[in-house]
This record gives sequence, structure tokens and C-alpha cells, in this order.
Amino acid sequence: MSLLLVILIQAAFYALLGMGYVLIYRATRILNLAHGDLMVLGAFLFFQALVMTGGNLPVAVAVGLVGSAIVGALTYFGVMRPLAGYPVAVGVLATIALGIVLRSLTTFIWTGQTRYPGEFLGQLGKPIQLMAGLSISGIDVGIIVVAAMAMIGFPILLQRAAIGVEMRGVAENALLAAQRGINIHTINAVSWAAATAMAAVAGIFFALKVRLGPDIWYVGLAGFAPALIGGMDSLKGIALGALIVAAAEVLASRFIAPQIAMAAPFLILLVALWIRPWGIFGSKEELERI
Amino acid sequence: MNPFAALPSTLRTNYRSDMQLLDSGFVRFWAIAGLCIALVLPLLLTNFWTGIANQVFIAVIGALALNLLMGTTGQISLGHAGFIAAGAFTSAALVTHFEAPIVVSLIAATILGAILGVLVGLPALRLKGLYLAVSTLAAYFVIVVGLGQYQAAISYGAGFTMPPAGIFGYTIGSERNWFYVLLPITLVVLLINVNWLRSAYGRAWMAIHHRDISAESLGINAAVYKLLAFSASTALTCFAGALWAYHTGFVSVEAFDFHMLIQYLAIVIIGGLGSIIGCVLGAIFVVVLPHVISYATEAIPALQGMGSKVFELQIGVFGVIMLLFLILEPRGLAGIWARVRFYFQLWPFKYRAWES
Repeated sequence: MSLLLVILIQAAFYALLGMGYVLIYRATRILNLAHGDLMVLGAFLFFQALVMTGGNLPVAVAVGLVGSAIVGALTYFGVMRPLAGYPVAVGVLATIALGIVLRSLTTFIWTGQTRYPGEFLGQLGKPIQLMAGLSISGIDVGIIVVAAMAMIGFPILLQRAAIGVEMRGVAENALLAAQRGINIHTINAVSWAAATAMAAVAGIFFALKVRLGPDIWYVGLAGFAPALIGGMDSLKGIALGALIVAAAEVLASRFIAPQIAMAAPFLILLVALWIRPWGIFGSKEELERI
Repeated sequence: MNPFAALPSTLRTNYRSDMQLLDSGFVRFWAIAGLCIALVLPLLLTNFWTGIANQVFIAVIGALALNLLMGTTGQISLGHAGFIAAGAFTSAALVTHFEAPIVVSLIAATILGAILGVLVGLPALRLKGLYLAVSTLAAYFVIVVGLGQYQAAISYGAGFTMPPAGIFGYTIGSERNWFYVLLPITLVVLLINVNWLRSAYGRAWMAIHHRDISAESLGINAAVYKLLAFSASTALTCFAGALWAYHTGFVSVEAFDFHMLIQYLAIVIIGGLGSIIGCVLGAIFVVVLPHVISYATEAIPALQGMGSKVFELQIGVFGVIMLLFLILEPRGLAGIWARVRFYFQLWPFKYRAWES
């Protein structure tokens, strides 16, 4: 029972990460391998605000999210927009390069030291007794609630809100969308901003729950596994992908060896790519197959 | 011989001149001069810089392998550091368990690399572009974690110390010895790559790069040639990895981190994808740059006191340069080189009649 809970929490965390990948992929057809570093940057912005306000959690979260969104939009205009029209591979390589720039930047500003912002949590960090032998901490409840809200909220946003419809239009046919008077660059920048803010959400949760340091970027990188398993262009696929990956990781670390757990998402991903490359809910046409 | 008498020409009038490797007096002169300079170089350099030159040689071999896959065949591979690790660990394991001599372990690493390449290449028959890149990245993580487990089990996590390499009873001890071993090896690997590119293999790979479906309709078995490219590339990578293990003298899984992966990507991107001269230029650039930066931090007063942050600075500068090349000059240093060359070739005229 407690194992199931651990898997659920981990899956919720992966869903938060995977959503960032999917948002960017839907908008610009790029796998953003800098996502982990954007996550670290968002978490550090949050941490900085937390320290400066003396532990004011809502303000710090707001600073982290808004700061990350701005970084995301700047990334689009600074790096991705000049690369429009290049092969997809170039864009992916550019995100790798961007990732190491961000990584060295965060290490430069905040040093490589590991921090524990969780100490600012106070009562939220304390475990809550659900039933006998089963407890959950406040921050874990937060992860699950936010992930669920995002899983429900984003599809509604994309279906109903004007900006969501425009996003879908740009993703489907950018040229046609531009002809209809939609500013595709603004829309893509919004997608990048939203995805980076999602990365910051995941980063903040990880920092509060576990630790914060420049070395946690690989946690964010692992998030592309659930996104690909679920289907890169599908938001609902992420939930299932995240559950599969989280289950594999938690079970591997519990029953085989903790070191194996780090490779588990990627092992699952390799198998999934071999069996069903377009993902569980992804559309087949998206994949350039031979 | 006047070195500037006959510049290399792109206009060929017969097949023989088209197949010539050193096609003009200019190229012949500089090839011989370059070789002479390379031969006396270790006598002029300090031990430290000879070591850097040796790292460049190994990086050139590794980069040529990556370029074969990414530049020539157009299959993105993000697992390169994993394959280098596989080569290095093969020789380390052979030395630890069987005390194998260097020749045996180099050959074994190369053969294992060829087999590993087929395994890693198999998804390439089904996947393209982004998805292939991701599958190689996933393979990288799986390989590195697997090797880490092996290292933990055998050497209790400490890593493997390699014995000094020796051929025919002669020990390759100093960096200077290594230089004279690695120089001919690198030249042979360069020649193999040049010959691959101008043979039927190279043409088939380039055809697959441009569009695999049309390559198939021309009678090229795309599946076979893709696997061949993966196999040849990974074999060469593992060979470089084994050389790296012997040259470094110590094999530990921490060396094959994400940073090494990025370094090799940087070499082929900064050098220019698909270009052999680009691999050489890129390898020199990427290997020497960190040392220039750390030298600069000591020499320039404004940068002093960076101390422990030099490593971050090096990585950051790498990333920025990679980004700049991707955005501003996708053809890399090789593209700049070609532009300078054409400028002098065409002088005093400015424009070429065709784009090459």
C-alpha cells in the first residue's frame, strides 16, 4: 500500500516534468533536452526569493514561476526562433548546448553546494497520518494535487481558451495560422514560457521534497522518458507513461538495486521505442517512420 | 617549389585527378610540411602540451567515428560517450581478468564495438530523427549505469588502473612516446575515413543522409548500410575508447559523464558536420580551449580569483560557442575554412559561379 503511494507520488512528479516536454514538442517539434537545467534554474530562483523574503512561500513560488516563464520566452526568441527551418536535429543539439550554458550559469551564481529549502516548509513538511502505517507529507499531497490539476487544466485550456485554440492551430499548421493573423512567434513563446514554468513547478517540488543543487538536472532530464512512452504529442498519454516509468523505477530500486533505478526509465524507454515508437497515445503520423 | 603556385582546384578534367588525394602542388607541399612539423612537434613542446596533443589525436579518432554517423549518414547519436566507455571498459576488463596485451585488447574492443554498433543501430531501422536520438541517449544511460554496476562489483567502485602499454617489449611510457604511437594511428584512421567517403560505402551513406527512401529506390539497401554505418562508427569509437584507457592509465565510469558526450558533440558541430577536416579542427579547438581558458583566468587580472569556478566557466564557454556555431555557422570551422580558401582561390574575383 505504501509502495503504491510512493509510485503515485513519483508518477505525479514525472507527469509534471513530462508535461513540459510535451508542451514544447507540440509547439515547436523539438525535444527540449535543456528541460532539466531549466528546472534547476526555476528551483534556484524560487530558493533565492525564499531566502530573501525570509521564508515567504507564496511569494517565492510566484517569483520562481514568473522568472522561469520569462527565461522560457527568452529562450524561444534567443535560441529557437533563429533555428526555425533547420533540421530538427539542430534544434535538439541547440537545447543540449543551452543546457550546459544554464548549468554553468546556475553553478556560477549559486555554487555547487547542496541546499535543503525543505526546512522553510514548517508544518507542510510534516507527515500526515492517513491510516495505520500509511502517512504522506504535505509536500507529497501538493505534488499529486498540482499534477492532477495540470493534467485536467491544460487539456481544457487547449480546448476552450482562445490562446489554447491558437496554440493548437500553430502546432497543426503554422503557415495557415500565420495567414489567419495569429502571431506564431508569440504563441510559441507562450508555449515555451508555460513549459518552463512547469519545469520550475517540478523543480520547486523536488527542491522542497529532496534537495536543491546544480546536480539535480538529470532528474529533470529523465522526464522525457514518460513523455515519449505516453506519446510526445499527447497530454493524456503522460499520465500513463509517468505511471509506467514511476512503477518501474520504484520497483527496481526496492527489489533490485537503488543504482539500477536511475537507468530504469531509460531501459523502459528503449523497450517502448522498439515496440511502439509513437507512444501509447501519440499519433502515428507524427513519427517519420521508414 | 612555390607553395602558392597551384592552389587546390575544384575543377577536375579527368577521373584520375578526381581520385587523387593530394591533388595539387600546394596540397602536396603542405601535407609534407605538416607531417614534418608534426614529427618534430613533441621535441619542441613541453610534456604537458604533448599530452594535450595526444588527447587531440584520440579526440580526432572519436570525432571521426561520430562524424561518420551524424555527418555522413545523418543518424543522430547522443550515445557516443557510452560507446567510448564501452571500449575503455573492454580493455580494462581484459587487462584485469586476463592480463591481455594492448594489441589484443585494442582488437577486442574494436570487434566488440562493431557488435555493439549493430545492436544500437537496430532501432535505427524503425526510428528516425528525434526518436533515434532519444533511443541512443537512453542507450547511453543504460550502458553507463551498467558499467557502473560492473565497476562497483569488480573494483569496489574505485575504478581500474591500466598497466603501462607496451608493444614488442617496448614500453610506451612518456607522453612523447605516446605521440609517436598515436600520430600514425590517427593518420591511418583519417585515411580510412577519407577512403570510406570516396568509395561506394560513402556514397551510399551520403545518399541515405539526403533521403533514405530515394536511396533505396536507387538500389541501396538502406537497412544494411545504416547498420554498417553504426557498426563501423561504434567500432572506431570503442577503439578510441580503448586507446583513451591506455593513454589515461585509469578507467572509471565517472569520466564518461554527460560532459564527455557534449564534448564530442561540440567537436563535430564546431568542426562542421560531415567534414573530415572539420573533425580535426574541432578536436583541436575543443581539447585546447579549456586550457586556454584556465590560462586566461590566471593571466588576466579581471578573471583572477575565479579559482574553483574555472571548470564552470569552461563548460559555459563551450555551450555558448556551440550555440553560436549552430545559429550563425552551421557548417562549422570547416565552412569558415572553405570560405577563406575560396576567397584566395578566386581572388581578385569575389563570387563563385556555383555554390559548393
